[in-house]
Amino acid sequence: MTFTVGDAVSVPSKTPGSQRLPLQYSRAIWKSFFLVLLLSILPVFSIFGGARHFTFIYEAPTSAPGSIEMENWFTWRRTSDPARVDQVDFRHEFEFGVTDKFQASVYVADWNYASDRENSGFAYSDSAVELIYNFTNPVVDPIGLSAYEEIRIGDRIFELESKFIAQKNFGPLILAYNATLEAVWQGHGLEERVGELQQALGASYEISPRLSAGLELLHEIVFPDWRDEQHIRNLFVGPNVSYRRGNWFVTATALAQATSTEGEPDFQLRAIFGIGL
Amino acid sequence: MKKLTLFAGCLLIGCESTSHAPPPVTSQMTKVGTKQHVDLAALRDGRRLFVSRCIECHTLPAVTSHTASEWPRLIDEMAGRANLKPTERNAVLAYILAARAQ
Repeated sequence: MTFTVGDAVSVPSKTPGSQRLPLQYSRAIWKSFFLVLLLSILPVFSIFGGARHFTFIYEAPTSAPGSIEMENWFTWRRTSDPARVDQVDFRHEFEFGVTDKFQASVYVADWNYASDRENSGFAYSDSAVELIYNFTNPVVDPIGLSAYEEIRIGDRIFELESKFIAQKNFGPLILAYNATLEAVWQGHGLEERVGELQQALGASYEISPRLSAGLELLHEIVFPDWRDEQHIRNLFVGPNVSYRRGNWFVTATALAQATSTEGEPDFQLRAIFGIGL
Repeated sequence: MKKLTLFAGCLLIGCESTSHAPPPVTSQMTKVGTKQHVDLAALRDGRRLFVSRCIECHTLPAVTSHTASEWPRLIDEMAGRANLKPTERNAVLAYILAARAQ
């Protein structure tokens, strides 16, 4: 169960009908989306915050001080057990380099489109703030370490997410590891509680200064109501590719579920497009 | 999960000798730097910026991967993206040229 990035995914299914928006709101969301997209294309001069080599894994280095970057996230998830559901999540994030070792991000909007046999529609999920502090460098220190904290607030969700980020660069090879603890309150009155412990491991090899390719692996342990009675364990694995040029980059990862957990996506595709502002 | 953690630990801790870190600033480099009117502090600052700003987008190239005449143009191209001020750009260039001249 992934409540992390772009994850209004699970929320609508747990609160049926509670998040579908009327048509006028859907149009408003589309207008906002295109406005944000337009703003991301307009800048001519820009300072780049940095390119991602992974989409499900964070890297230890933080953005250069003074840099501003916009990232647009797209995540498609297909679940077939117990019923077939396709969901596409969108995120619009602004990332700010504050100091050499500290960056802050604002998720302006996380929203999604979901479709199953009976219903389909758009839903706004939440907005969030993310802070990352870098302790050590992955090139010159034995290991690069960073700490991550995220606070997410929506009309039916409140989430705290803490992450420990480790990375080591071996020439053109980047190895990254994330350990994440999430606490989620959701539903009417935020009465549903879910905890999740996640580990993610990734490798990315730089084929050329503009192109990298690698592998990402996610291991999740979900604690509904903060209990482990259901023994929910998920494992996802798949390739990634990243291309960067000038002041923009695009990175994509395709993950398949290696376990067979009911209600979890069989397949996930995530792409992040970032541009310096 | 324990196996995964162990595997990750082994991969990430690795060996410092294989980390491809650029050479630290030495007195030899300082002499090279002095010829270019750059002091020890600037060389250290140049190395610090080189190993932190450049890896935000790509892995770190070896200082010998380009010629001394190629580096100024490359750094000029990258300085804007890495948000390097003119003094920082000069420090990075001075460090790279001093390191590769060693």
